[in-house]
Amino acid sequence: MADFVCELKKYRQLKGLTQEQLAQQVGVRRETIMRLEKAQYNPSLKLAIDISRAVEAPIEEIFIFA
Amino acid sequence: MMNKKKTPRMALLLGVACAVLLALASWYSVQYNDARLVAPTDLSTYVFRPQDLPMLLAALFLLLYVLGLSVWLIRGIWARKRRGQTAQTTRSLNPKLGFLGLLGFLGFLGFWSYPTHQDVTPFFFFLFFGFFGFFYEGKLSNTFMDERFRENRMRAEYTAMKIGFSILFLSAILLSRGKLLGSLEYSFIALSIVLSLVLGLVLFLQEYLLYRYDHSDSEE
Repeated sequence: MADFVCELKKYRQLKGLTQEQLAQQVGVRRETIMRLEKAQYNPSLKLAIDISRAVEAPIEEIFIFA
Repeated sequence: MMNKKKTPRMALLLGVACAVLLALASWYSVQYNDARLVAPTDLSTYVFRPQDLPMLLAALFLLLYVLGLSVWLIRGIWARKRRGQTAQTTRSLNPKLGFLGLLGFLGFLGFWSYPTHQDVTPFFFFLFFGFFGFFYEGKLSNTFMDERFRENRMRAEYTAMKIGFSILFLSAILLSRGKLLGSLEYSFIALSIVLSLVLGLVLFLQEYLLYRYDHSDSEE
């Protein structure tokens, strides 16, 4: 289990995006977004940056490491 | 350039033509040329006769066909490999191909062929148990390979290899002593069985673990 808190769901909903739409924007599968939101997957730096840009939120606020 | 769909048909037609040509040449040789070059021939004392021409030409065509087919197959394998490296989705596969794993049971023929014919070849059919993995690969057909999928695939391959090599290493230690089954010969046979089973297991586990990692709700 990844030792971080993921606030992606909050920022994605604020941006009005579905999991599918976000997945398409950042070039991954919907399942990957789902795992990310449950903090069950530790993304690569590239994916984290892509997500940060897609939801227009700082990367350190989306992925909070303890 | 030849149409991709027409190439296999052309290869098949040429193969049939070569077979027919060879059959006709063999028939001619048997009927009118004392079965020369059909019956076993000592080539060191061979002297050319014009009646040998049909058989020689048929053999030449067959040789050219086999060479051409080999080149075509190798080029096809290379092209598929290149496509695989740049592919964004997994290959499309029918899960029913997993039933090919049943071929693995042919391996048990070895327990009959070894005592009767001293032949251990059937034992290597145990490798085909690995084809049961097609059940899982088929379920993941046309899946978009994002970074999580590729990571899971590497993890599955690594775990499968680790399990396979561990079993192989332990088996090699036990069997190389030559005492487990009473004789070194039996130990080598047992090692070939273990080797085939382990390779099959690795092939199966790679696909099974990838499917499990991809579909599990929580990771360890």
